[in-house]
Amino acid sequence: MLYVEDVYKSFDGFMAVNGANLYVEKGQIVAVIGPNGAGKTTLFNLITGQLKPDAGKIIFEDEEITRLPPYAICKKGIARSFQIANIFPRLTVFRNVQVSILSQQNKSGKLFRSASNMAVKETYEILEHVGLKDIADHLAGSLSHGDQRILEIAIALGNKPRLLILDEPTAGMSPEETNRTMDLIKDLASARSLTILFCEHDMDIVFNVAQSIMVMHHGRTLVQGPPEQVKQNKEVQEAYLGGDEDA
Amino acid sequence: MEQGHTLTLAAFGSHLLVGLSRAMILFIVSSGLSFVLGVLRVPNVAHGSLYMIGAFAAYAVFTAVGGGSTGFWLALIAAPLVVAAVSFGAERSLFCRLYEREHLMLLLFTFALMLILDDLVKIIWGAEYRSIMAPDYLKGSIIVFGSSFPRYNLFLLAAGPVVAVALWLFTNKTKIGKIARAAAVDREMVGAVGINVSWVFAFAFVLGCFLAGLGGALVAPTVSITLGMDHDIIIEAFLIVTIGGLGNIWGAMVGSLIFGITQSFGVLLWPQFAIVFPYAAVVIVLLMRPTGLLKSVW
Amino acid sequence: MGRWNRKTLLLCTALFVVLLLLPAILPRFYTYILASIFVTSLLAMSLNLVVGHGGLYQFHHCAFYGVSAYTVALLITKAHVPYWIAFGAGPLAAALVGFLIGWFCVRLSKLYFGMLQISLGSLIWALAFRWYSLTGGDDGIHGISMPDLISSTKNSYYFVLIVLTISLILMYIILKSPFGTTLQATRDNPERCEAVGINVRRHQLAALIISTFFAGVAGILYVVVEQSVFPDLLFWVFSLEIFIMCLLGGWFTFAGPIIGAAIMVSLRTFVGVYTEYWTLVLGVLLILLIFFLPEGVMGFVLDKFGTSATHRETGGSH
Repeated sequence: MLYVEDVYKSFDGFMAVNGANLYVEKGQIVAVIGPNGAGKTTLFNLITGQLKPDAGKIIFEDEEITRLPPYAICKKGIARSFQIANIFPRLTVFRNVQVSILSQQNKSGKLFRSASNMAVKETYEILEHVGLKDIADHLAGSLSHGDQRILEIAIALGNKPRLLILDEPTAGMSPEETNRTMDLIKDLASARSLTILFCEHDMDIVFNVAQSIMVMHHGRTLVQGPPEQVKQNKEVQEAYLGGDEDA
Repeated sequence: MEQGHTLTLAAFGSHLLVGLSRAMILFIVSSGLSFVLGVLRVPNVAHGSLYMIGAFAAYAVFTAVGGGSTGFWLALIAAPLVVAAVSFGAERSLFCRLYEREHLMLLLFTFALMLILDDLVKIIWGAEYRSIMAPDYLKGSIIVFGSSFPRYNLFLLAAGPVVAVALWLFTNKTKIGKIARAAAVDREMVGAVGINVSWVFAFAFVLGCFLAGLGGALVAPTVSITLGMDHDIIIEAFLIVTIGGLGNIWGAMVGSLIFGITQSFGVLLWPQFAIVFPYAAVVIVLLMRPTGLLKSVW
Repeated sequence: MGRWNRKTLLLCTALFVVLLLLPAILPRFYTYILASIFVTSLLAMSLNLVVGHGGLYQFHHCAFYGVSAYTVALLITKAHVPYWIAFGAGPLAAALVGFLIGWFCVRLSKLYFGMLQISLGSLIWALAFRWYSLTGGDDGIHGISMPDLISSTKNSYYFVLIVLTISLILMYIILKSPFGTTLQATRDNPERCEAVGINVRRHQLAALIISTFFAGVAGILYVVVEQSVFPDLLFWVFSLEIFIMCLLGGWFTFAGPIIGAAIMVSLRTFVGVYTEYWTLVLGVLLILLIFFLPEGVMGFVLDKFGTSATHRETGGSH
């Protein structure tokens, strides 16, 4: 479904992504792992269009999307959540998700209909699924950190994506919250037939959830494969145990 | 035939020089605006008012000392210092409390400052035209390219580069200058290293305003010092900083040169609408390079 | 929520009726001042569409207002175009200029947007100021004739009130629509909007066209009330004054700008009686606002008396 081929990105001489490869098959849950600074978020930014690669190709459902702007990529069926909660603080939780749904329905430009009556069912459906229905009328900016992360994902769901990309969805979460989020991911994949790509820096967390893991280190793809295979891989063990920050 | 050819060339050359000397004033004022913009990331809307105060302060000092050569030089030194003091007062009393707030508030504060300073000038000096005179050796004109060229403009042509070099040395070679430049790029880093960012901002703001005052004092002998001086110059400075690249001092130089020269040629070719020429230049530049000709500091 | 809306609707209708009846009892001067307030309110509301609800740094809104006013004035006085056609041309001209300048500006980030607008808008001012033969320069254009129907103070008041009300209703509908909600999302987080499939630039440009169109409508109303135009209408300091009105009233609320305009125009008229230093007073007022009332009057009131979080979103209440 998604094929990232030999992608490079540098910032003022610093190679953030130095030859990354990734393939995601439809229906899979794929995790990209690597220590901080490995280039995971940069890679995701390249895929969803916030950044343009210096070299390489990104192909989604047989179509090249390398140089498209973010909103065009979204329209192709890819939705994404961000590492730092990227929500609409002055809008209610309901409206946060509704904006996304309206965009997907191509109704963002409608001037003379009341938004209160539009996409209400779909919005509540998503809010219910992620467990935010009770606080639908709270201002998003007033939510707790954990709830904001969930809202992040809810907004992405509003786009009815075929591929959902989550950037470090469990960053800063406690162990129970992390488990709950991982369960949510598994649930979303099956309930909505989503293909999910996410990144993490803890391999143990993804072990039970991902069907394929890609390991990044210093911007490069070390290996990609089923979890067991990746865990046994010598290079991966070195990268994780050889003096780098977390593991 | 020969005569006509020389005259056109003379006019060309003469206007070029006038444009250049005007550009020097524009540079001195714009560089101050650009510097503040670079470090504080706020366009100082009051910048024009400070320029105007520089001119009025020069007048005040000049007349207080009884005019003449001493009056002129004293005014040139004292006026920018007065402006610096005023800006320092405004900054430490009120402006600095806004550093943690969103940028829009800082900008609105500078707007309020402009409103207050404008009326203060009106209260202190009234609405009449004032003037001061340059010392004798800078008065009058000499013949350049076959037409007369004010000596004072030669002085400006020299003063501009001197200020540019001094500014460059100050921001690149002194410790405080380097810190200010670092704060422009990454204020959090500077704060994290233990430097008091608020004082860095104070320094940058005061320096920027000093330059505005200096510009006002330098231009004083050549114009009628009056209310409304600030409005003209602030628009020009905004334009120059926009095409030069936000926060970039060299950009301010480039922008000023473009502006001054196109304006000068505008006067030559279409006096009533001379203003259109620099604006046209601005539009062309922005069509090609929307973020300015030189890299903006951030 | 339903209860609140009905109550505000009742309040607004009552207010409208009161305003309709006022000219019968007020001296002509006050009718004129009220009409001025209406015109300024519309201008401030149009600005707030893109500032408070759109998050754009629209620093020279009056350029569009002035373009419309001058277009109407010139068409009536120089081209002798029928009144109502001239009235139609004003907002169209404003929206066109809004589109042109906006096209440049939306490509740039916040600060550049604002500075560029001041710069380009000032060009228009400079043209109006210097093109004496066309625009009368600093003197402006006076004695613009108006259709008999609306030429008296009273009648111009009614005309302005009606146009204002219609415009406000339209703006309210637009803000409550998907377009309006999406616009507010672009204010809150343009990057996130791109990621959910919204072409932020196009959306902002559309908002600018709408906003400048309404500024143009305000321009017509100005000509109707004053029957003259001046370059001051195009002056950037005036633009910032309107900006302050939005801030004063509360720019995240729907009706804030109207409150702000009413306060400022009244204050200016009142202060003008005692001193010529209105600019100084305005500056001090602005500083007080920045330090003590950043959410504006409406924001402050809603904070104190608003009962649910929904009140502050999309200007859901008055």
